Amino acid sequence: MLKTSDYITRLREAIMHYDADEATKVAKEALKAGVDPVEAIEKGIAVGIREMGERFQRFEIFLPHLVMASDATTDAMEVLVAAIPEDRIGLVKRGRIVVGTVEGDLHDLGKNVVVMMLKSAGFEVFDLGKDVRTEVLVERAQELDADLIAVSSLMTTTRPYQRELVEELVRLGLRDRIKVLVGGGPVTREWAEEIGADGYGRDAVEGIAEAKRLLGVDE
Amino acid sequence: MIELIEVAERARTGPRLEEKKWNLTLFRKMQELIKEYDLSSRGVEEFINTDDHLADDAFEAALDFIVDVGAYCITTNRVIHFDEEEVRKAVREAPDQVLMGEGIDARVFKQGIVDGCKPININPGHHAPFTEDLGPLVAKNFAQIPRTDFIEGFNFPIVDGRDVYDQPLEAYAAIREVAWMREGVRKAGRPGLAIVLYPISTRASSLIAPMNPKLGLRPTDGLLMSTLPDVKVEYDHITTAIVFSNYGYFAVNGSFGMAGGFCGGPEGAMIEGIVRPIIGYIAYGDSLHYTGVEHLAYVMGERIVLHPVNWARSVVFQALSRNTNMIYMEWNITCSELCTETGLLENALRSIEATVNGAALYAPRVSRARMNAGQTPVEPEFMIEVSDATVKAKLKREEAGKILQQIADRLKGRSPEKGKTIQECYDLVKHKPSNEYQEIYRKVKKDLVDLGLEFQYT
Repeated sequence: MLKTSDYITRLREAIMHYDADEATKVAKEALKAGVDPVEAIEKGIAVGIREMGERFQRFEIFLPHLVMASDATTDAMEVLVAAIPEDRIGLVKRGRIVVGTVEGDLHDLGKNVVVMMLKSAGFEVFDLGKDVRTEVLVERAQELDADLIAVSSLMTTTRPYQRELVEELVRLGLRDRIKVLVGGGPVTREWAEEIGADGYGRDAVEGIAEAKRLLGVDE
Repeated sequence: MIELIEVAERARTGPRLEEKKWNLTLFRKMQELIKEYDLSSRGVEEFINTDDHLADDAFEAALDFIVDVGAYCITTNRVIHFDEEEVRKAVREAPDQVLMGEGIDARVFKQGIVDGCKPININPGHHAPFTEDLGPLVAKNFAQIPRTDFIEGFNFPIVDGRDVYDQPLEAYAAIREVAWMREGVRKAGRPGLAIVLYPISTRASSLIAPMNPKLGLRPTDGLLMSTLPDVKVEYDHITTAIVFSNYGYFAVNGSFGMAGGFCGGPEGAMIEGIVRPIIGYIAYGDSLHYTGVEHLAYVMGERIVLHPVNWARSVVFQALSRNTNMIYMEWNITCSELCTETGLLENALRSIEATVNGAALYAPRVSRARMNAGQTPVEPEFMIEVSDATVKAKLKREEAGKILQQIADRLKGRSPEKGKTIQECYDLVKHKPSNEYQEIYRKVKKDLVDLGLEFQYT
């Protein structure tokens, strides 16, 4: 008979071995054995994906490893979250974030890193990709009831679209509900302040710290 | 060569694939090829590769990648396939020299020679952000560097006092960029010097806008049209390539492999660094390629990452030299900012490395370039001096590797150094660095003399 801690260890290891099938299987077995899904998420999955994020920061693993670990996380979370009663769901939700590079900008390397790091920090992330028009960012954020939109631009000439995003949210009366985080090569804290963004990340690490601050997530 | 319109056709009709699946397919194939060709365990302890067989194997691995996997079009989400004969033919046909510029300012840009003993070609800048008031003056200063073969444009957020924002302003800004470059080279007394358009935006409208033999881009000029990381291409560039190639312009491809990205570690990036120039030639008609291997943390300006990235980069250059005609350049980027000792040491290391690997110098900017703080003429002039000293010393790969090791020792434990803006450390009217920058330059140069390099001017 396996103990709760055994299931938690197996879940953590499945994430760290990028094994989505195993993660889903263990999640189902854990529920069947009566393991609290919130505990399984917090002590198993969250710890595993956070460790992967730290390994990535130390350059021990690369972007594809983080993508695969994140896929395993998503699959196992789907099983476990479905088993959490409505009144406890807030315990595992850290916030919903829409991410993209702004219109006209095809540089998505930094954005890809941020997406993976946000996922490894436990956020629900919707990556809209690159060259995303402002209307699309806002529409998707509304549809998904997102808490934050994170946008990057690598060119000085695409930076104004970050301002456009803030203005569009103001125009639609959504500014109080959806926060804005900006980043990218030519983006500075001064620029973020000038356009009225809520947060700025010089790099992925700073971006993730800002997202946590903006969404009130404690470590 | 496969016609560009055929590439466009394949991008429109090739098999559909989700981008995320492409990324993971790329990674898995790279891992498979690293194992198959045993790329990770041969000579990795060296600073510069000396194993020619390894370079050849890396090249074959890259060809296998193109033939088995292809390239990905992000506009259509389709895979573009090429057969082996097409790829090998393209590699054979790629030009080994490009005639650029006009009249007495025309230059020939050539493929370099590994362990060669001739001065290499150089693009000293820009590829960096400058404000519109400084633009033409900056261009003049870079054109004043006698060894400059071509200069690239720059980007700027404001034109005529308006934000460069959306297609009409982007197209207008692209026209202004080239006009300022032309003005700059004229003021430098080199009106025929070749100019390369730095994209204000990657949309075809702004790439094509400055084509104008009288006031804009002449057919002897070029444009930067890079393949995207992870072996991706897109429609705007294919469209632009079709237009430009019909009028005879040359095109430059930024095409290094990114260690830490979807290709994996340095060995995967090594394969990507060979694949992307080939795809750039086939899909966009690019004839000059700044390639090699970079590290995610270095490019983002987070930390100075050297070995084994240098080693992997050298394998890329040697693979292209030994197996193709392609003209390759080293992207001599630094983590440290302007007017710093660390920055010049980083420049020196990469200049020596480029020279012995037969890579031309492509001097872009510091990795996280602030406005008006991306570059000064000091760095490319210094790179040329270091490169010439390397040639003069007849350094071969093995001896050069030892010097690089010593420079790396000096850089060990250092964080990227904060620096100054161009106005703070360079007089653009007198074409002269500040006293502080001159002091730093002399100190680093003396350091290199102590390591065995002999400069023409002390």
